[in-house]
Amino acid sequence: MRAKLYRRRQRRNALAMGLSLGATLFGLGWLVLILGALLWQGFSGVSLKVFTEMTPPPGSDGGLLNPIVGSLIMTGLAVAVGTPVGILAGTYMAEYGRHARITAVVRFINDILLSAPSIIVGLFIYEMVVARMGHFSALAGALALAVIVVPVVIRTTEDMLLLVPNALREAAAALGMPRAYIIRFVAYRAAKAGIVTGILLAIARISGETAPLLFTALNNQFWSTNLNAPMSSLPAVIFQFALSPYADWQKLAWTGALIITLAVLLLSIVARAVTASRKPS
Amino acid sequence: MNVAMVNTPHVGRASATQSQLRDRISIRKLNFYYGASHALKAINLSLFDSKVTAFIGPSGCGKSTLLRVLNRMYDLYPNQRAEGEVVFDGENILSPKQDLNLLRARIGMVFQKPTPFPMTIYENIAFGIRLYERLSKSEVDGRVEESLKRAGLWNEVKDKLQANGLSLSGGQQQRLCIARTVAVRPEVILLDEPCSALDPISTAKIEELIEELKADYTIVIVTHNMQQAARVSEFTAFMYLGELIEFGDTQKIFTTPNDTRTQDYITGRFG
Repeated sequence: MRAKLYRRRQRRNALAMGLSLGATLFGLGWLVLILGALLWQGFSGVSLKVFTEMTPPPGSDGGLLNPIVGSLIMTGLAVAVGTPVGILAGTYMAEYGRHARITAVVRFINDILLSAPSIIVGLFIYEMVVARMGHFSALAGALALAVIVVPVVIRTTEDMLLLVPNALREAAAALGMPRAYIIRFVAYRAAKAGIVTGILLAIARISGETAPLLFTALNNQFWSTNLNAPMSSLPAVIFQFALSPYADWQKLAWTGALIITLAVLLLSIVARAVTASRKPS
Repeated sequence: MNVAMVNTPHVGRASATQSQLRDRISIRKLNFYYGASHALKAINLSLFDSKVTAFIGPSGCGKSTLLRVLNRMYDLYPNQRAEGEVVFDGENILSPKQDLNLLRARIGMVFQKPTPFPMTIYENIAFGIRLYERLSKSEVDGRVEESLKRAGLWNEVKDKLQANGLSLSGGQQQRLCIARTVAVRPEVILLDEPCSALDPISTAKIEELIEELKADYTIVIVTHNMQQAARVSEFTAFMYLGELIEFGDTQKIFTTPNDTRTQDYITGRFG
């Protein structure tokens, strides 16, 4: 009886393990295919020109300098605006208003915002900024990206601060440390790696966003660093070039996609390294 | 409310010292609530200057709660409130006017689990000092060294003051926390089961430390370990179900207690 029961468990275990393994391979397979296609198609186009020349008209030589710089400018601005707002809001929720009703409300709304389709964010900024200003602009693009950054940073900041044990706050308070000091010098320090990881993940998230930029920063064939004018960005250029009938544009789109992917990969690795260094000794 | 009312009559040694005792903290008609639950019931108790007082009793009897009233640690949380009076230096510290940071700088606390801050060993101690004193670098250095020596940790860490406080062992971390508390020069030190997470050697070191500290500080210790209470304290309060059952000379509590519940607890019949 017992041996029979045990054999049945072994068979079930083998079945479950086989299914899990199959699902893992299925998922990983697509990832490998995507990365493989990207490397195959994109790598051949990588040259110094990509980083030094502007996007070309069809049929002539060129690079991706203006969209690369445009993406860097708008991502940088979005992070510069979104990160302080996110960290401060997360700090309020975890430290000052932990038991407040408004915190529960904000958390609920933030979770919705976190999973809101980015095209809606683009439409919102289009209505609020682009339509009122009368033209597309890099500023509107950065703002749309900032709206995506904020909920990610709020969420990770709150989560990481909630992971800081209360015993640590009590110990600091027991020395007569004022609340602002406890947050700055004890809670932030203990949660630093997690908060930084959240910011890096937010950067990774927005660096591939296309929809909100199409409604706001639009695109620009030429070099421009004017924040009050349309600005080029990698996702928008990939969108435009990939859908075009011209082979050289399609080639550049693949290269641009490869650059974004590698940049995000690099950020994820940095985020991992920062998280790993969180545990002292 | 004087001592005699909550105290059982003293005999021999205790009554001789009675006249020299001075209240450092007087607790009068203290009631404490966690939301609707009544955790401390009409506590009257005196904590004497430069003496060690132990709070003993079974889990959940209110020992730690009482300790956390003394530096208003409970104030960090909503729905916890205290009624009555706790007089320290002529003032009722339960008054809403009491500045909590200044109070906590004068009444230090060491917790059950070691809680070093995520910074260097040096900074763990220096940070607290700099909160309320403007000292030169060399003065802070001196104070850090003095505190670590008092906590019996100096020899183990003097060559790695810049190492992270979290890299120390559990016993060392706890002594670091004691050093940190001593460094801000409080008047009263509250110890909440300071040895419960430590091995016997670290425990012995901390008990020696309490012995040394009591010359300068009024010490209150919560402990589950009755031998420890008997070893380190001069006065013992036995608590049960939120009430103070008996308070008096430690020797008397452990040899001839007045209340049968105290007798039952110290002989291990419950708790």
